[in-house]
Amino acid sequence: MEELFVNMGQINSLKVGGILTTVGLGSCIGITLYDNSVKVGVMGHIFLPKSRASDKNALPGKYADTGIIAMIKEAENLGALKSRLEAKLAGGANLFSNLSLNGTSIGEQNAHAVIAELEHFGIPIIGKDVGGSYGRKMRFYIESGIVAVTAVGKEAIEI
Amino acid sequence: MQEAKLDFLKELANIGTGHATTALSQMLSGKLFQLVVPEARLLHFEEAARFVESLEQVVVGIFIVVSGDVKGHMAFLLPVDSAMVLVRLLTGDDSGEVNDMALSALQEIGNIMITSYLNALSKMTDLLMAPSVPGVAVDMAGAIWQSVLAGAQVINEVTLIRTEFYADGESIEGNIIFLPDEDDFKKIAVLLGLGEG
Repeated sequence: MEELFVNMGQINSLKVGGILTTVGLGSCIGITLYDNSVKVGVMGHIFLPKSRASDKNALPGKYADTGIIAMIKEAENLGALKSRLEAKLAGGANLFSNLSLNGTSIGEQNAHAVIAELEHFGIPIIGKDVGGSYGRKMRFYIESGIVAVTAVGKEAIEI
Repeated sequence: MQEAKLDFLKELANIGTGHATTALSQMLSGKLFQLVVPEARLLHFEEAARFVESLEQVVVGIFIVVSGDVKGHMAFLLPVDSAMVLVRLLTGDDSGEVNDMALSALQEIGNIMITSYLNALSKMTDLLMAPSVPGVAVDMAGAIWQSVLAGAQVINEVTLIRTEFYADGESIEGNIIFLPDEDDFKKIAVLLGLGEG
């Protein structure tokens, strides 16, 4: 089966079948958008919540505010309807939780930003596995829309 | 100019890591470490993201925030097997288990190594570089590295200074990586007559 990898900041998509995979989600958030009726799936791997003016040539998928809209466009280009899209999320952890820094961790900031963007576009979040202090790997099966999340020393879960 | 700057950084890395491994050697009753020629590279974000290759390999990551005249971040990354050898040499615990005791030993090792590294750099440059309490994580290399880059707020590009070391006779290897904040990094360059960078 075709398996495409999504690196940090990238957005990738498949239609009908195959697997989209992203590895090494720490404070980053992996997001999947899925339209079940046309079997279109898009995956993103977001690094930080907000785009920077100083980062003009950044991949849109690097930031939540530019990434979600770019993912929706990609889904639509493959024949998905925005009104049918459903989202799943994983990641947004705080690996160095004993490192006491002021304020909200980057993982939490990422989760807030991604959830706010999805709400803004009216896309329901039907599965999520976010937070905690451990890294995650996400595999998105396009035929079924199932997302498997694995972590070191933990049982795999499906969201 | 860029080349001169990177050469100088390699020298800094060599000295920093030299002090760090000497401190480690003293903790481990004289075990000797070899340093591999250090790297200093200016990486774009995409290159930095790809810097760690085996994304799913389980590694120990120790992460420190540097404050003072030169701000930045430091990471000490080592394979979990190497970390367990260090824990055994330090505590006598040969269970190979990543328990609280092992984590606290690793935190202490990271603390001493990174403090020695920064002290050496501070002395050479006369700029204050103070480490935070170290954060420790045992996880997929990709997740750790990604969290380091996000923690250091690496946006466009980053100067990455890396030294690899290993010990003869024991399978211990590791990387010490310094990610100075771009503005403060210029201070070092200016101070040393290397121009505006």
